[in-house]
Amino acid sequence: MDTLDTLLMAFISIVLINNLVLTKFLGICPYLGVSGRIDMAFGMGMAVTFVVTLSGTMTWMIDHWILMPMNLEVTRYVCFILVIAGAVQLVEMYIRKFFPSLYESFGIFLPLITTNCAILGLCLFVNLWGIDNLPEAAVLSFGAGIGFTMAICIMAGIRENLNMADVPRCLKGAPITLITAGLLTLAFMGFAGMIK
Amino acid sequence: MASNGQTTTTLYKQTLLTGLWRENPVFRLLLGMCPTLAVTAAVKPALTMGLSVIFVLLCSNIVVSLMRNLLKPHLRILMFTLTIATFVTIADLFLKAFVPRMSETLGPYVPLIIVNCIIICRAEACASKNNLFISIIDALGMGAGFTLALCVLAGVREILSTGAVWEIKVLPAWFVPWAALSMPAGAFITLGLLLGLVNVISKKRT
Amino acid sequence: MSKIKHFIEQSWLLIIASFFFGLLIATANTVWSPRIEQNKITKINNLMSGLLPKAEKFELAAELQIKSSKGKKVKSNVYEALAERQCLGWAFNCEGPGFADKIELIVAVDKNFEKFAGYAVLASNETPGFGDRIKLSYYRQQFVGAPIGKLEIAKTGDAEKIDSEIVAISGATVSSEAVIKIINSFVVQVKKQMQEKGLIGNGK
Repeated sequence: MDTLDTLLMAFISIVLINNLVLTKFLGICPYLGVSGRIDMAFGMGMAVTFVVTLSGTMTWMIDHWILMPMNLEVTRYVCFILVIAGAVQLVEMYIRKFFPSLYESFGIFLPLITTNCAILGLCLFVNLWGIDNLPEAAVLSFGAGIGFTMAICIMAGIRENLNMADVPRCLKGAPITLITAGLLTLAFMGFAGMIK
Repeated sequence: MASNGQTTTTLYKQTLLTGLWRENPVFRLLLGMCPTLAVTAAVKPALTMGLSVIFVLLCSNIVVSLMRNLLKPHLRILMFTLTIATFVTIADLFLKAFVPRMSETLGPYVPLIIVNCIIICRAEACASKNNLFISIIDALGMGAGFTLALCVLAGVREILSTGAVWEIKVLPAWFVPWAALSMPAGAFITLGLLLGLVNVISKKRT
Repeated sequence: MSKIKHFIEQSWLLIIASFFFGLLIATANTVWSPRIEQNKITKINNLMSGLLPKAEKFELAAELQIKSSKGKKVKSNVYEALAERQCLGWAFNCEGPGFADKIELIVAVDKNFEKFAGYAVLASNETPGFGDRIKLSYYRQQFVGAPIGKLEIAKTGDAEKIDSEIVAISGATVSSEAVIKIINSFVVQVKKQMQEKGLIGNGK
């Protein structure tokens, strides 16, 4: 029961309180680029969740079962990015072959995700926070993806409405999106301190 | 011969200036947003990050340019990534050894230089197609543009949120600092407003 | 055989580059890692000297496993502050959840574990201007000389008076309480384990 409690807390904390996009500034490039429409945003969010859960768990395993025991921590960044790139390739091939309809909806985003800071960022944060058990790492990775999806869908909803608003010409596009993101972050700050 | 020499120098000058303003990676190309928002709470970390990016960009452009004729097309992204990851690791070790406090402030955003779109874009668009000298100049130009953008953003945020720049008090005591600017929300809003300002300035020029 | 040959033909550059880069990283690491280790030690030493200024050096006395308020086991290093071979006090690190993220502190106590000598913040991510004030001396001063036992938070009161009541930072109740909770939970366990190890006298 205690472990379930910890896992639930970890999940809530990374989705609401330490949301990767809004508080840790990860995944901003796709956030700005793909949040124009809700269906695209959702597709991107799902793709990211898929990849990040896989990469987060795999990099944790490699870090704890290979790098640390063999004192190869200095190669951590190189290993992580190679694992992530490989994972993305594998996921893309697998989905294209076995779930072609799924590939239609979010397959095109997969190559973009390799350079998405959210994935590498999450793997590094899991390392930084000293997570020492596999279930917690897996839950955090999954939660990070869900948090990203949630943030990008909210943003897409707002942007669809913004299209009909009278935005000053110089602020159209990225500037107004950033300001909206700032206001969203302010709103989410209300969740801080939720978990004692 | 003279006209050839002149075209080459103008080409170098153009490449350098492009990175600084016309194709400034942060303000115009909207690349490398993640570190821009994260480390610009104060000018010192922003400058450290900018210099690290210049170092990694320079080294990676040099290495990629040197091996541009030997690259196999379907392996090149892997090669770029490997190169960048190596130099980022070296930069990170350097920061940890010589400026530990800055390294702590920057935290996980130094390794995130690996996935900084700027570096891989320059390797793909410029270094793999041009000779060594142009690649170096391009790296310097883009890196300088990035550092400039970071420092401007950091300057605005630091002055308004703490009344000090580089930890030297600039604003008088009666100014109540806007602490919100040093938090994530303030980062987004400041960058959005700055981008709007840049749009206004470039519209006026053209 | 030709498959291997084909493989090598395609990726010889990758293999050579990997070796070269591996060498670069290994060199940088070997050259700089003693410095990196030294930096970590210097940082903790500086913080501890700030809390117990009369000490000449700090020696690692014990490595304890303390249960933090989240239920996780945290490693806590206890350092003995020595001056002319006499024990002046002890310092140990502790951590726990704060308002935003976790807070890491170094707490210094006197040699009998009776009174606090103060604390310093190792790492924290509290709200700037509010929770961040746990780093400021006007809040930290209240802990210097306070009795070890149950420190309590008080919303108002005399901050100058040194007792077990700590006046919270206005606008940052959660961060102030977090610091007190972390210190309370750690100091009790550290004291007990140090007594069990016989490093400090019993009967307290």
